[in-house]
Amino acid sequence: MADVTLYHWEPNANSGKPMLALMEKGVPFQSHYINMLEFDQHKPEYLAINPQGTIPAMTHGARVLTESTAIMEYVDEEFSGPELMPADAQDRWRIRWWMKFMDQWLGPSFSMIGWSTFVGPMVRQKPKEELEALIERIPLPERRRAWRKAMFGQFGEEELAESKRRVGFGIDRLEEELGKREYVGSDHYSLADINIFNSTYSLPLSHPHFASKERTPNIMRWLKTVYLRPAVQETWKMGKTDLAHRYSLIMEDI
Amino acid sequence: MATAILYHGEPNGPSLSVLAALAESGLDIECRSINLLKGERYTLPGAEQTLASDMAVEGEGPVLLKDGETMSEAVFLAQYFDDAAGSCGLQPKDAYAHWEMMMWCRQTTERLAPAVAYIGNLATSQSVVGAMDEAEFSAIAKSVFSDDLRERWQDLRDNRVDAAKLEDSKTKVAQFVERVEEKLADGREWLMGDFSIADLETFAWLRPMAALEAAAFKGKLRAAAWMERLEQRPCIKAALAHATVDDPSHAFAPGPEINRWG
Ligand SMILES: N[C@@H](CCC(=O)N[C@@H](CS)C(=O)NCC(=O)O)C(=O)O
Repeated sequence: MADVTLYHWEPNANSGKPMLALMEKGVPFQSHYINMLEFDQHKPEYLAINPQGTIPAMTHGARVLTESTAIMEYVDEEFSGPELMPADAQDRWRIRWWMKFMDQWLGPSFSMIGWSTFVGPMVRQKPKEELEALIERIPLPERRRAWRKAMFGQFGEEELAESKRRVGFGIDRLEEELGKREYVGSDHYSLADINIFNSTYSLPLSHPHFASKERTPNIMRWLKTVYLRPAVQETWKMGKTDLAHRYSLIMEDI
Repeated sequence: MATAILYHGEPNGPSLSVLAALAESGLDIECRSINLLKGERYTLPGAEQTLASDMAVEGEGPVLLKDGETMSEAVFLAQYFDDAAGSCGLQPKDAYAHWEMMMWCRQTTERLAPAVAYIGNLATSQSVVGAMDEAEFSAIAKSVFSDDLRERWQDLRDNRVDAAKLEDSKTKVAQFVERVEEKLADGREWLMGDFSIADLETFAWLRPMAALEAAAFKGKLRAAAWMERLEQRPCIKAALAHATVDDPSHAFAPGPEINRWG
């Protein structure tokens, strides 16, 4: 009996990581959808699970786990099913390196651009007092600042330009990496692919000038390979917005 | 292992934790001391694939050169030693304890390390980098591959101090000491129960703060006893023996950036 509950939003970025890892391992889990655009992640019920007020979080019996990349390593080690980390020590190191590069260098730039162009405008409709009250509830001070910028469109030109630079740079490095190896960091499908796929499958649509069949053939080859995995198909069905559907059209076209 | 060489700075921060992890693993890897504050990490002989050291999130840290590839990031190098040694006790075997160690280390590298690097560089390395002659500094700056890391070098040279970041860094150091104190509240000897990379990584970044941010440690008796236990541990002594200066806790070079998102 797995007895796993996952608190997640759409199958992308951080939420998508444990969703897809659980699917790949064949671990049944209860899905608890947290609507990020309704700020479910800052409601008392959820803060009781993860006081940081970020998603995802996972419970396994009495255990509560946070930090999406570390959750994936747990899922891989705790449950039987296909290995999602190769045996070679240097490959394992490389996989962890790429996941950190995504989580702590490239990912935040994706987030900033995504929040300024997509998330911000979606939540801006609400009255200002309501938005202020929503900000009040956010536990992490740095997140309070980020949400304020997103809600009121206050990202600076300089920081957005820096994020765009990083996205362009990061995509080029990923393209080189996938020219050297079949998958990210090794020749085996692994947690690094799950991690990075969840933050890059939207690229051909969101950043077509950076990622395209002509410009980044290796990334496109890899995106398509990962996309065709049954676990991805299953995971994408769990989305409640039309996000995954829109991207599946792009994938079919690659 | 004969083909691997560990290039490290003075045993402080990431170089301290990696040298200690290596000693703990018992692996026979040659160690060579380099001066990170002279940009020596960018001119390693035989380095062919350098993405991992050029773009290390942790900034100027140790590099393991293996088969032409420059391996970086202190926590992952420690995990690599543990994996390569066939589990030498640096990582818990139980999946949940292992998760907790990785979660803890992630938060150490994301919150504590940038704060310590900010405070430490200003306190100890600003005067050195600021006093370099133009030719020397621009040669180093030119060799730094990452644009944002180069900017941190330049900020240090120009003594550009962001008061809010400095304040925030001090708060984060104090919060982390508090967190260590709480973790040890049940009388455990090591952070994760058994000794692990979490102890090495946390200690390596907190050690230089004992003098620079003494107030953060005031009344934190369990944390102080834990620091002392580490200080006495043979792997830490072995790591500190690699120092080429009197007080390696003053050795800093531009480190990880302070979280620009959230
Ligand atoms: N380091 C955490 C970050 C989690 C995180 O920031 N998740 C985002 C969604 S991808 C979130 O919760 N955003 C909503 C918020 O901060 O209010 C992890 O990897 O799990």
